Amino acid sequence: MLLDRYIPPPLKEDSDFFIRKTRLSQLSVNIIGYTSLIDLPRTLELLHKQAESGTVADLNAEAFMESFGKPVKAPDESTIMTTVTRGDILLYFSEHDAFISVTPVPKVLTRSIEAPTTENVLRGAISSLVEDIETNIGMIKKHAATQQLRVKSYSIGDREGKRLSLLYREDKLDLALLRAITGKIESRLDWDVKNLQQLSDMLGFSRWSFVTRFNSTELPQEAERGLSQGKAILLLDRMPFALVVPSLLWDLFAVDNDHNFPVLLMYLVRLLRIVGVLTNMIVPGLYVALVSVNPDVLRIELALSIARSRVDVPYPAIVETLLLLIILELILEASIRLPKSIGPTLTMVGGIILGQAVVSAKLVSNLLIIILAATTISSSTVVGFQNSISIRVFKYLILLLSAFYGVLGLLSGLVIICAYLASITSFGIPYLHFYKPKGDSRG
Amino acid sequence: MLRFGKPAIRAAAMLILAALLSGCWDTKDINHRVLPVVMGLSKVDGNYNMFLQIPEPTSDDSKMRIVSDSGETVSDIVDKISMNLESQIDLLHLKVLLIDRKYAEEGINDSITSFIRAQDISPKTMVVICDEPLDRFFDAMSKPDNQESTTLVHFFEKNAGWNPQVAQTRIWQMFRSIHSYTNDTMVPIIRSDDSTVIQSRGSAIIRNGRMVDRITPDDTLMINIFNGHSAQGKIEVMDHANVEIVSNAISHKSRVAGNQTFLECHVRLKVTILETKGEPSVAQVKWELEDLLRKRSEALLAKLQKRKADIVAFGQHFRTKIPRDQLAKWRTDYFPYTDINLQFQVIVQNEGNLKMRKH
Repeated sequence: MLLDRYIPPPLKEDSDFFIRKTRLSQLSVNIIGYTSLIDLPRTLELLHKQAESGTVADLNAEAFMESFGKPVKAPDESTIMTTVTRGDILLYFSEHDAFISVTPVPKVLTRSIEAPTTENVLRGAISSLVEDIETNIGMIKKHAATQQLRVKSYSIGDREGKRLSLLYREDKLDLALLRAITGKIESRLDWDVKNLQQLSDMLGFSRWSFVTRFNSTELPQEAERGLSQGKAILLLDRMPFALVVPSLLWDLFAVDNDHNFPVLLMYLVRLLRIVGVLTNMIVPGLYVALVSVNPDVLRIELALSIARSRVDVPYPAIVETLLLLIILELILEASIRLPKSIGPTLTMVGGIILGQAVVSAKLVSNLLIIILAATTISSSTVVGFQNSISIRVFKYLILLLSAFYGVLGLLSGLVIICAYLASITSFGIPYLHFYKPKGDSRG
Repeated sequence: MLRFGKPAIRAAAMLILAALLSGCWDTKDINHRVLPVVMGLSKVDGNYNMFLQIPEPTSDDSKMRIVSDSGETVSDIVDKISMNLESQIDLLHLKVLLIDRKYAEEGINDSITSFIRAQDISPKTMVVICDEPLDRFFDAMSKPDNQESTTLVHFFEKNAGWNPQVAQTRIWQMFRSIHSYTNDTMVPIIRSDDSTVIQSRGSAIIRNGRMVDRITPDDTLMINIFNGHSAQGKIEVMDHANVEIVSNAISHKSRVAGNQTFLECHVRLKVTILETKGEPSVAQVKWELEDLLRKRSEALLAKLQKRKADIVAFGQHFRTKIPRDQLAKWRTDYFPYTDINLQFQVIVQNEGNLKMRKH
């Protein structure tokens, strides 16, 4: 059999791989592909319909074959392998010894559009992006119904051929930024990109950064906001997130849904988020600074009541704070891992039982429990989970400096963090920049 | 550029250096410090006696203890007490410095100067003069009924027990009184009392860090009005009515002619009438109040001029008008002879509270 010499040996072993013989018009055809990726009956049906509409008799053989799909020139083992792996099927016309690659009816392997799982929407569009890149592009296009939207798709990776799409609005995106992004992608098309770390490397961002350079969002609405602000959106196949570049400081505090509230309430809510971030970073450090280094700052009544609550506590303030902070981080991390049905149990054990027991065991002071509760709650006011992790890390810097230098250390910690944030740039755009679209003269 | 190892090593080195440089092992947690709130100081035969009132951080009710010692210098005594206590004494929370009246009459320049220079006592600490021997005062304070450790602190705090008949003077103001040519100060005088723990006994006139005379609570109020310290909430008793001062504003005009200094002082008081006896009219109350205030302040100023203590800080208005070498003699050569012209203007507000005749 002629077909045999084309088929790579690994495929022959693969039980998912099929060869199906059929006849289209008068020609005998072998269909090859993966069962798991193709809805075979419906694909066959389509092929037969196509064959009826234009038979070999009407057209010449070549035109007939090309009416199904793209002919594969110079077929060899590797091209067959890639085509099949991509999820396409190949028609082998044995009389003509020719391969035609055809896009079949695929099996539905993507979940349907659902509500977001990592971002809550109170008011606004609730549908979230899914794993399928085409669906995602379609959803974003629905939200950004404009002629100016451009999509550039790349197939990246040495062998695997993963899809990466770049979306931008031609009237808003700065040309230099566009060139920088496309330049980076196009020069590294052969890189394997499976996760955001690799994508970050591809775009040339530093690996040792505490701040994510992508503002990832599940919501097409947020993606649209990025677009109309003159940012670029990257979509990676099988990644249910839109990645907005550049990600800037203000993205920590603002989401598009805010605009569905009255303006004053919007500003108040954003102020609340800023307060939350500051609380989370400052409060544990402040506690340690005030309790062990600069108690003179406190009012006398407070100083006495803190001293009273710490009477039998054996460890210095920094140790007890670190102890409980680490336990809290463990609870946060554990509740991500746990199934949703067990989550509340963990919260209860962690929050109530541990908190109560640790105080009555005199390991930490009462006040510290309040401090840490405030810290943990406020760590989640920031927009985007990836940002909340950065904030959680910064907290420890301030905590350590406060333990060393007191209130002065706390202030210098804040200065260091500001300096660090100011030093970050992505594609030449500073992290602290207030971004505005091309040609916008406001501000 | 000098490269020093990998970033991780550099970060670790920075962290270790930061920890080493700070000497962080010397910091003591708040529960290992003793935080005295009141310090009593007297001087007998060149030796200092010190009392410290220390709140005890016990888990139940707030208790306090009083420790005392004597020695050559203040820091010497603090050291001695600290040595004998289980925790380290931290004077930064000291709120009230209680000075024996005899020591105040002798002059407390040395102590005040050393407190300001050494910086282990906050310059915001209140200075108070005690009108009875310190040991008796602290005995009364440590009675089981009076175990609230912050009584004395609250007594002088503006948002707690303070009221405008009590002077409010801090260590830095005493320090200013010692060194400024034109600014003296007054210090509240208290003693213990059976029913209210503390009894206010007017104020001391301090001149260059030395107590020279004392004035009554009513006079203290007058000076608080002159100094613009909110006289709010104060009740003034007259033959016919009781008024509360709502706000006051004061303006000065100073003039120098030869060696003679002139000061015009215009005080505007907004008051509201709280209570009346008989049936006085609003105009009558207003007139009587202006008259009373003028008489009272004239008597007070005469006393101050006699004592050569400028606690109303009138000298401040001449700082640009008298040459500096002459200004040094403000207290002796100018202030006693200054021609002070006082004018009071009273505005009665909130007449609706009491129904009264206008005229």
